[in-house]
Amino acid sequence: MRGDRLRFWMLVLPGAAFLVVFLVLPLLSIVVFSFWRTESYQLIREWNIDNYATLISDKTYLRFLMRSLVMAGIVSLVSLAYAWPVALFIARHGGRYKLVLLLLTSAPFLTGEVLRVTALQQILGPIGIINMALQNFGMESVEALMYSSTASGIGLTYLWVPFMVLAIYLSLLNFDFDLLEVAKVNGAKPWRAFIEVTWPLNRAGTAIGIVLVFIPTLASSVTSQFLGGPDGALFGNILSHQFGATGTWAFGSAMGVVLFAISLAVIGIVWRAIGDFRRSGITIKGLEG
Amino acid sequence: MQDTVLHLQGASKRFGSTVAADSIDLAVGAQEFFAVLGPSGSGKTTMLRMIAGLERPDSGRISIGGSDVTNLPPYRRGIGMVFQDFLLFPHKTVAENIVFPLRMQGMAETAKQENLEWVLNLVHLTGLEKRYPHQLSGGQKQRVALARGLVSRPALLLLDEPLANLDRELRKEMEIEIRRFQLELGIPFIYVTHNQEEALIMSDRIAIMRNGRIEQVGDKLDLYHNPGTAFVASFLGSPNAFEGRVVTVQDRHAVVDWFGNRVDARVNGALGAGDTAACFVKSEKIVIRPLSGGGDGLLSGVVRDIIFKGQYADYIVALDGKREIIVSGPPQLGFRRRDTRVVLSWGVDDCDAFAAGR
Repeated sequence: MRGDRLRFWMLVLPGAAFLVVFLVLPLLSIVVFSFWRTESYQLIREWNIDNYATLISDKTYLRFLMRSLVMAGIVSLVSLAYAWPVALFIARHGGRYKLVLLLLTSAPFLTGEVLRVTALQQILGPIGIINMALQNFGMESVEALMYSSTASGIGLTYLWVPFMVLAIYLSLLNFDFDLLEVAKVNGAKPWRAFIEVTWPLNRAGTAIGIVLVFIPTLASSVTSQFLGGPDGALFGNILSHQFGATGTWAFGSAMGVVLFAISLAVIGIVWRAIGDFRRSGITIKGLEG
Repeated sequence: MQDTVLHLQGASKRFGSTVAADSIDLAVGAQEFFAVLGPSGSGKTTMLRMIAGLERPDSGRISIGGSDVTNLPPYRRGIGMVFQDFLLFPHKTVAENIVFPLRMQGMAETAKQENLEWVLNLVHLTGLEKRYPHQLSGGQKQRVALARGLVSRPALLLLDEPLANLDRELRKEMEIEIRRFQLELGIPFIYVTHNQEEALIMSDRIAIMRNGRIEQVGDKLDLYHNPGTAFVASFLGSPNAFEGRVVTVQDRHAVVDWFGNRVDARVNGALGAGDTAACFVKSEKIVIRPLSGGGDGLLSGVVRDIIFKGQYADYIVALDGKREIIVSGPPQLGFRRRDTRVVLSWGVDDCDAFAAGR
């Protein structure tokens, strides 16, 4: 018995310690800082809610937040539309190249974020491939692709879409494609079989993909900093500003807390959207009595 | 035969260099329970999938109920199918699984309910409508799969080894049940299996498949007692197989020399004196007697072991050489000890001889 208990704690402690040191403590400190204030780059322990009051009253911050939310929503939807066919193709027709194809979709991750984004500039920017080519043919360059929110959106989609592909692909790996044959023999046309069988049984995986794209996009700053131009700043840019040039740590912390709360809310909404677990086809032994 | 419901003409299918179905001709009548029996890889599942529309034949034609369906997708064929692994939709309840084919047809709600109740009654699943598949036992899942296949009262029901994943007790029960469903509905069932016992118990006719071809097709009793090829003879029942040299042939009666023993056999195909014959004699057709009874039997030997199987027993008889023959008979034959000397005999028609090496 004592041996069992010892083993239990030996298994639990490393993970628990990691979570406490690297997740719980930093989060707690952010929450605490958000109720302090900063003066000439110094955190001062004076409890107040001014930071939050400013966030609510100053419409600028709300506008940036809305902009980030819209951006995250669009990027998630575009990623979703792109990732489903890709994941479906790899899962069904990848054969023995499944892993290679999957790694190819994650190729952007082979370099750092800044490098990836600057590489995109070589395509979208004023002296990028697209606009140079257009000019060569005597056409107007496309303004929308240069230092704009569209450019940021393209960059963000490019950055995070591999997560969506991965999540849907992993879900499809556990999906029994024979069920589609059952549906067809029983009178379902291919699109109907998708709606009746493929989609509901991979809803949970898709939801995880959405979360994995939405949340990092919501908090992103680097991409819009490089591709967004002067009017393309997102909530993340303003936030990182607080910890950089302006040095208003307390206010930045409050912005972080808001971001974290929204992220939790998004996870909650997505979780609810999955709905009845039995309807997701996930059958964990013991989940049901 | 009655009206033909299913008709295959020269249906062929290859996968790469493998010929999975080699010019299959087949006609199945209304109200027939038709079993397709064969070892794995014999093409029986490919044939079934071609009928269902899940594989398109490379050549040949398939018609159901008189109309050509060769180029129709599965969802336009109006047939039912029961799959080996049940393949219930895990995210749908029992009732939702069963009415799925009706929903795809766009049937009205009341008619749907009526059909659901009818089929639930038929397969004895009433009360389990709201369960999910993972809450069911293997036997219950099988019943749901059958109900889903039957609910739309299809022109034809295909069954792909539906009992392969059930334990013996349940299998016995379902064999009788499935036969009952077929009689009640009066539609043809095409039942694919590698289990000859299932085929013999349930079906009216059997097709034996081998290497993508139908080796023999016919009434099950005829097939069992009058196999047309060495493969069919070796596949059905539990036959003793041996090879010997033909001594004489008269009409269809051959005398075969088997290591110095002269045995009687019925000739199938071309077989003459001096040829090597592959002989098959089913274990229950051999008569076994103790030697003391004044034996003029064909073969004499010693009982090496008696395997009691309840309703009958297998007597393993060692012949004078090292060869063994298995004889099935009543468990009480007056001798219970091993090492009893016995003589074995059989009628000419009980042993089938074929030209060897085919």
